[in-house]
Amino acid sequence: MKHFPSRRAVLGTASAFTLLALTACGGNVAGGAAAGNSSKYPAGPVTMTVGQAAGGSTDLIARALADGAAKTLGAPMPVVNKPGANGALATKEVAGKPADGQELVLLTASLITITPLAVSKDEAVNLDDLDIIAGLSQDDYVLVASQGSGFKSFKDVTAAGRNVTFGTTGVGTGSQLAQTVLFKQANVQGTDVPFDSGKPALTAVLGNQVELATIQLGEAMAQIQAGKVAPLLVFSEGRNSFLPEVPSAKEAGYDVPVAQYRAVAAPKGTPQEVKDKLAAAFKDTFKTDAYQEFNKKNLLTPKEISGEEVVTQWKDYAAKYKSLVEKYNISLSGNK
Amino acid sequence: MDFFNPVINGFSVVLEPMNLLYCLIGVVIGMLIGVLPGLGPAATIAILLPLTYSVEPVTAIIMLAGIFYGAQYGGTITSVLLRLPGEASSVVTVFDGYQMARQGRAGTALGLAAIGSFIGGTAAIIGLTFLAPVVAGFALDFGPAEYSALALLGILLVATISGGTKAKALIAAAVGLLLATVGRDVFTGESRFTFGSLQLADGIDFVPIAMGLFGLGEILYNLEERHRAAKAPSKVSNVWPSRSDLKQASGAITRGSVLGFFLGILPGGGATIASMASYAMEKKRAKQPERFGKGAPEGVAGPETANNAAATSSFIPLLTLGIPANATMALMFGALLIQGVTPGPQLVEQNPDLFWGVVNSMYIGNILLLIMSLPLVGIFVRILRVRAAILAPITALITLLGAYTINNSMFDVSLVVFFGVLGYLMKKFGFEPGPLVLAFVLGELLESSLRRSLLVFGGDPTGFFTRPISATLLVVFILVAVLPGIRSMLARRKGTTAAAASAVNGTNQNIKEKV
Repeated sequence: MKHFPSRRAVLGTASAFTLLALTACGGNVAGGAAAGNSSKYPAGPVTMTVGQAAGGSTDLIARALADGAAKTLGAPMPVVNKPGANGALATKEVAGKPADGQELVLLTASLITITPLAVSKDEAVNLDDLDIIAGLSQDDYVLVASQGSGFKSFKDVTAAGRNVTFGTTGVGTGSQLAQTVLFKQANVQGTDVPFDSGKPALTAVLGNQVELATIQLGEAMAQIQAGKVAPLLVFSEGRNSFLPEVPSAKEAGYDVPVAQYRAVAAPKGTPQEVKDKLAAAFKDTFKTDAYQEFNKKNLLTPKEISGEEVVTQWKDYAAKYKSLVEKYNISLSGNK
Repeated sequence: MDFFNPVINGFSVVLEPMNLLYCLIGVVIGMLIGVLPGLGPAATIAILLPLTYSVEPVTAIIMLAGIFYGAQYGGTITSVLLRLPGEASSVVTVFDGYQMARQGRAGTALGLAAIGSFIGGTAAIIGLTFLAPVVAGFALDFGPAEYSALALLGILLVATISGGTKAKALIAAAVGLLLATVGRDVFTGESRFTFGSLQLADGIDFVPIAMGLFGLGEILYNLEERHRAAKAPSKVSNVWPSRSDLKQASGAITRGSVLGFFLGILPGGGATIASMASYAMEKKRAKQPERFGKGAPEGVAGPETANNAAATSSFIPLLTLGIPANATMALMFGALLIQGVTPGPQLVEQNPDLFWGVVNSMYIGNILLLIMSLPLVGIFVRILRVRAAILAPITALITLLGAYTINNSMFDVSLVVFFGVLGYLMKKFGFEPGPLVLAFVLGELLESSLRRSLLVFGGDPTGFFTRPISATLLVVFILVAVLPGIRSMLARRKGTTAAAASAVNGTNQNIKEKV
C-alpha cells in the first residue's frame, strides 16, 4: 500500500495548485467589493490583466512593471494572462469592471490604432472606455531582408523593379501596416504573406521563403547581429538607439511612423486620487535600476508619458493610419 | 565531438534534482495509470497539462514523456496477471502473457516484458539521438510548401492507419479539420464560425479539446463499465527469465525494437499498432505458430519491446518537424505550446537543452522503470481495487479546475464539458477521438501553410512540385492514398488463386492434426 500516499500527494498537489489560483481570483473579487473609498486605496491586490500569452514581450513588461509598482503601492500586483482577439478580450473585460483601480490592463497601442482597420467594429476596443494611467515604452519595428534576396538597403528594393514577397506578423498588426504603406509610397510591388507572429516570419526570412519581413526589434536582433538577415529600415520617427546605423523610414523619405507602444489603463471613471497614486507608483518603478535594465535588455525605448499624452498621441496615430490607408487605398484584410 | 557536446549537456539537464524528481513522478504516474484500465496516457497527460504550467518547459515535458512510456510498462502487468490490458498497446500481450501466468510463469512473462521494454526503449532513444539532428539539419528548408505537404500526409496517415473503422476515423478527422477553421482568418481578419463571440475570435484552444475528449470523455465512458471485483492475481515469482527463455525471446526483442522504432515515427502509428504488428510478425516467423496463444515467450517479448520502442520514436516527428504522430504526441505539442516553445525543425538548434534534456531523460526513465517495475508489481495490482466511484469524481474535478487555470477562463471550462460529452458519445458509438484531435492540430497548419505557399508561388500550385522536399512528400501522399485501392484490386484478381492456396493450407493443417 506504499503507493497510495504518492498518488494522493500528486492529486493533492494538483488540487492545491488549482485552488490557489482560484483563491487568488477570489481575493480580487473581495477587493472590488471593498472599493468606493479611495482614501484606502489599494484595498487588496491590484490585478494587472494582460491580453497576451505568458512569456511574450507584453507579458514580460507587465511583470517587470508589476514587480516594481507592488512595492510602492504596498499591495501585491498579480499579473493575469487572458489571451484572445489581440488583447480585445482582456481589455473589454477590464473595461467592464468596477472603476476602483483594483483592476488594471496592460494596453497595446496597435489594438487601438491599427486593429480597428482590419476587423469589424464590435471586435475593436474604444479608447474612451478606459482611463489611461501611464505610457510605458516603445517597441520598434525593423524591416529585414533575407540573404537570398540580395537586398542590402531599401534602395536595392526600390531598384529591383520586381514583385517582392514580404512576411508580416499577422493581419491588423503594425508589421503589416508599416510594410503595405511603405511599399505603396515607394511604388514597390509586393505580395503580403501573413504569419502568426514574429518568430515564424523571421524563420521564413532565414530560410529564404520570403524576401522581406517586418518584425519587432527584440525578435530580430540576434539574427541581425549574426549577419543572417540584413536590416534595411526602422519604422520609428528617429533612429533607434539600439540599431544606430540603420536609417529610419522617415530619413529615407517615407511617411510611415509605426511602432508598438504600451500603456497601463483602468476602467473609465476611476477616481483621480487612485489614478495619481498609481501613476506615482509607476513613476517610482521607472526610476529603478531593475526596470531600466529590463528595458535595455529587451531593446525597449522608454516612453514614459502621462495618460493624457498617451490618449492624444494614440488618437493622432489612429487618425494618421486611417488616412494613410484611405489615401493609398489599402485594405489590411486585402488577401480576400 | 561537436555533435556530442549538446548531447552530454542534455545529461546535465536531466541530472538536475528537480528534473530527476519529475522524471520519477512521471514514470510512477505512468505505471499507475498503465495498471488502471480505462484511463490511458493521453487522458492522463490531458488532465495534468495545467499542472506543468508552473515548472520549466524541460521539466514539464520530461514528466509528461515519463507518463507516456511508463504507461507502456504498467499496462503489461495487468495483461499478464489479470488478463486485463491496462493499455490498448498491451492488448496482444494478454494472449500469451496470461497463458504463461496460468502455467505458473507469470514472473518470466513480466521479466521478459520488462527487459524487452527496456531494450526497445533504449534502442529507440539511440535512434532518436542520431536521426533527429539529421532531420533538423533540413530545418531552414522547411517552408510553407513543405509544411502543407507534411500536414496533408499526416492527416491522411492518421485517418487510414489508426485503429478502428476507416470511415469513422475519416469522419472524426473531418470534424477536426472543421473545428480548426473556427476563429479569425489569419489572412483576411475575417471571423469564421465565431457567432459574434470574442471568446471564439482566436479559434478554439487545443487544450480544452484534448482535456474534454481524452480526459473527461474517458472518465464518463469508464463510469459506464460496471466496476469489476478485483480478481486474485496470479502469484509472481522468479522474475528473472531463464537463459533458454531469453534465448528464445532475443530474436523477438531485436525485431520488435526495429519494427517499433519505424512504426512509431510514422504519423498515425504508435505503440498500439507496433505491438500488434510485432505479434503478427512473430507468429508468422515462428516455426511452430500454434504455440502462440498458449504461452509463447516471444508473444510477450516482441510486442512489449515494440510498443516501448514506438512510444519513444514517436517523439521524432514531434521534436524535429513539429508534427505530432499520434494523439499523445498532439498533447505533448499542446504542452510545449503552453510553455511558449514551438516544436519544429528549429528546436534542436534554438533549444538544445530542452531537446536533449527530454531525450536523455528517457534513458534515466527507462532505467527507473526497469528497477521499479518488477519489485512493485504486487503494489500496483492492489491499486486496481480503488473504486471507480472514488476515482472518477476526483479526476473530473482536477480536469475542470485545470481547464480554468490555463487561461483563467470559464469559457474554457464550458468547452471542456462540451468536448467531454462529445468524447463520451464518440467512444460510445465507436469513433476514436485521436483522429479528430490530430486533424485539428494539423488542420491549422495545413490551411495556413497552403495559403501562405500559394501566396509565395503567386497562386501557381505546380510550385509544390518544384521544391524537392515537398515534391517527395506529395508523391508519398499519392502512393499512400492510392495503394489500398491497388492492393484490393490485385487481391480481387488473385482471389481465385488465394482460395486454392488456403484450401491447400487447410489440408496441411488437417494432416498435421492427424499426425
